Amino acid sequence: MSRRGAFLLAISILGAVVLQTSVLPVYVDSLFKPDLLLVIMVVLALRASYGTGVPLAWLLGLLKDVFSGLYLGLNAFSFLIVFLVIKSVADRLYAESGFLYVITVSAATLASAAVNLVLLLLFTNTSTIAYSMVSGLLPHLLFNAFAASLVALLPLFASVEEVA
Amino acid sequence: MSMLKKYGLIALIAGGVLVALIFFSLNIPRNREANAIERSVLSIMSPVMKPVSKISFFIADIWDGYINLVTVRQDNLRLTRQIKELNARIVSDNEALLENRRLTRLLDMRETITEPTLTASVVGDDLSNWFHTLIIDRGSSSGLREGMAVVAADGVVGQIVKVSLDNSRVLLLTDHSSGIAATIQRSRARGVVKGKGDGLCSLEFTTREEDVKVGDQVIASGIGGVFLKGTPIGEVSMVKKGEYGIFQTITIRPAVNTEHLEEVLVILRGRYE
Repeated sequence: MSRRGAFLLAISILGAVVLQTSVLPVYVDSLFKPDLLLVIMVVLALRASYGTGVPLAWLLGLLKDVFSGLYLGLNAFSFLIVFLVIKSVADRLYAESGFLYVITVSAATLASAAVNLVLLLLFTNTSTIAYSMVSGLLPHLLFNAFAASLVALLPLFASVEEVA
Repeated sequence: MSMLKKYGLIALIAGGVLVALIFFSLNIPRNREANAIERSVLSIMSPVMKPVSKISFFIADIWDGYINLVTVRQDNLRLTRQIKELNARIVSDNEALLENRRLTRLLDMRETITEPTLTASVVGDDLSNWFHTLIIDRGSSSGLREGMAVVAADGVVGQIVKVSLDNSRVLLLTDHSSGIAATIQRSRARGVVKGKGDGLCSLEFTTREEDVKVGDQVIASGIGGVFLKGTPIGEVSMVKKGEYGIFQTITIRPAVNTEHLEEVLVILRGRYE
């Protein structure tokens, strides 16, 4: 990864975490909180190589776990799985398309929530969380898609050929 | 001749005064119409008065509209700045007032707690939508440990689950993973308050025979040693007893609105072993 790419990625991740933990909760309902780290992970899945993307996707998930819930490694695992799935088909996709990016983020949101739910049901005693996840999935999906569409509008999104 | 010289001036003045008096008396207006003299003088003066008056007004306009306004922009800027400063001060004063009220209530709560406590500010929220945790600005450097109870002015907030040097994460009582031993204040019925994830909680393991009604206050039972006995948890908002089953379904509305928490108290006792 180029120095510029690494710098942009670090800034984006830092901004996403600060925005999502300390800024957005003040202004928007928790139901309408986009998952900005997932949005960044999908960029990586579409643009980065396996060598760079796999550890970064896992670390992004781990970062999310640090600021969310009780279970360290939950999102790290789901991000990794989702990354690998998207990466396996990314070569056949027109990765520069903003519309495709929004669709991919939407699919990644569903897949990530599904993996999280399966893991929580299998390994924890929080079966009641399924109702919360299912009921909150649609607004979460819509807001992730909205956040992805904003990212796709950035000039940087079109100009960066390859993150790694 | 000398007599004429002597009294001539006096006679002249007296005559003049008399003529003036006669002139005045003749012109005491029977009506308001201008006489020939007035009309003549006004007619003569009018062409002069008109432009002079215009020029005077023009000069006055320049004076008032321009020369006098030289400092108006500076005044405007200064006043605008003052308004901004005063507005900021009003907002700051209102914020201080509200903070004072919140802290006073928190202090009232603190005085009811016999254990040592530590005040902390909420600095962050959970990243995900499914879990309900808060980040506070105190960590192990302030003596916080995992498992300690966190309360607000209105009652139980949750429990510390992760501690770093200067920050801690609090598992809210509304989270699915949260469980707090509780008692119905009126009937002393017991149960476990568990989070439902949607801002509400449920009281689990309360048998059908127990007396629970809508509006009952739910308090911490003190079992487990984390939350102090009697700390308010919430109010029963729904009770449902099915035809079958051992337990009743009880929904609780938490006493603390966790969405808008800004300051909390950490009770410095109890920790995970």
